[in-house]
Amino acid sequence: MSLALAARTLASAALLLASCSGDEGAGYIEIKTVPASAAVVLYIDSVKLDPMRNGNALLRQRAGTAKLQANGDGTNLSVLCNVEVKKNRITTVTVSAITRQLRCQCTRTGASDSGVIRTCIG
Amino acid sequence: MLTGSHIEARSAKCAFFSLMLVFLIAAPGINVARAEPEQPAATEPRTADDDFSRQLSELKRTFAELSKKFEDSAQTIDRLSSAEGARKEIEELREHVSKLLAAVADNGSVWSLGTKALKRAEDKLKWLEAETRFKPEDRQFLIERWRELRAATEAAIKELDGARKDFAELLRKLQNNEDFIDELLQIREQRRALEVIHALSDGIRDASEKLKKLLSSIKTPGV
Repeated sequence: MSLALAARTLASAALLLASCSGDEGAGYIEIKTVPASAAVVLYIDSVKLDPMRNGNALLRQRAGTAKLQANGDGTNLSVLCNVEVKKNRITTVTVSAITRQLRCQCTRTGASDSGVIRTCIG
Repeated sequence: MLTGSHIEARSAKCAFFSLMLVFLIAAPGINVARAEPEQPAATEPRTADDDFSRQLSELKRTFAELSKKFEDSAQTIDRLSSAEGARKEIEELREHVSKLLAAVADNGSVWSLGTKALKRAEDKLKWLEAETRFKPEDRQFLIERWRELRAATEAAIKELDGARKDFAELLRKLQNNEDFIDELLQIREQRRALEVIHALSDGIRDASEKLKKLLSSIKTPGV
């Protein structure tokens, strides 16, 4: 098979496969740390995030509920909050590292959010 | 309503048929293509810098296209008289902005290529500073070229960072406006619901009157 044909075939496959997953959609999680210089190690579900630049990160994430976790004691992950990601929307979360205990501050929380772990919705 | 398993099953089916289609497209070409000569240009590996430059150019072109789309959308929204129409227009705009943001997000394709290209330039500089094979003037020449590349890459990344902030702000503004329109629609729905409730009350009152008339017309047997 010629390289041009192979490339065309792979491109078609990528396009077609991408269109298959288009229904679910993706949105964004914006994470801010306070203070901006705080060196916190964060995870979205089980994926470790790169160190943040100027205390800010913007991540594309599949729509649904994701867990924002921190590796506080160096061994175990603890859930700071849940983040609801909606298609083509940004959910902003501020992680406060002012005290030793990291805290999640949501711009908006769910109306019926009375659980121990809060859910940020936007 | 679609459940997760329905979506997964549909995605799996779609993926399967897509791959089948690709194989059907590719299969007849395999024999024909055997006689074609190899094209050496296509086999050259692309570096992160090449990919970054190419994707950055494509992104800039898309920025220009989107700018036009925004102008058109603003005019359309001005002309719209219905909240639903405005909401739909905003939803479409969000999709466009979201696609651009996808490229410049921290885990986005263009951003990742940019950071890779920067790391490559930094690694090269470190390596060249420790390299002793070349004549000092040749080594200095290479160092200067890589410094130029590093500075250009840093400048491009800074531009992307600015674009990311703008897109994120725009997306936030769009979603806030859309939420506000939703609230307005809900108020209108509430009014509609009140109308239905009032109509229902009238109907009940009417039914009550009819029932009273019926009761008064019924004569008790034996009285």
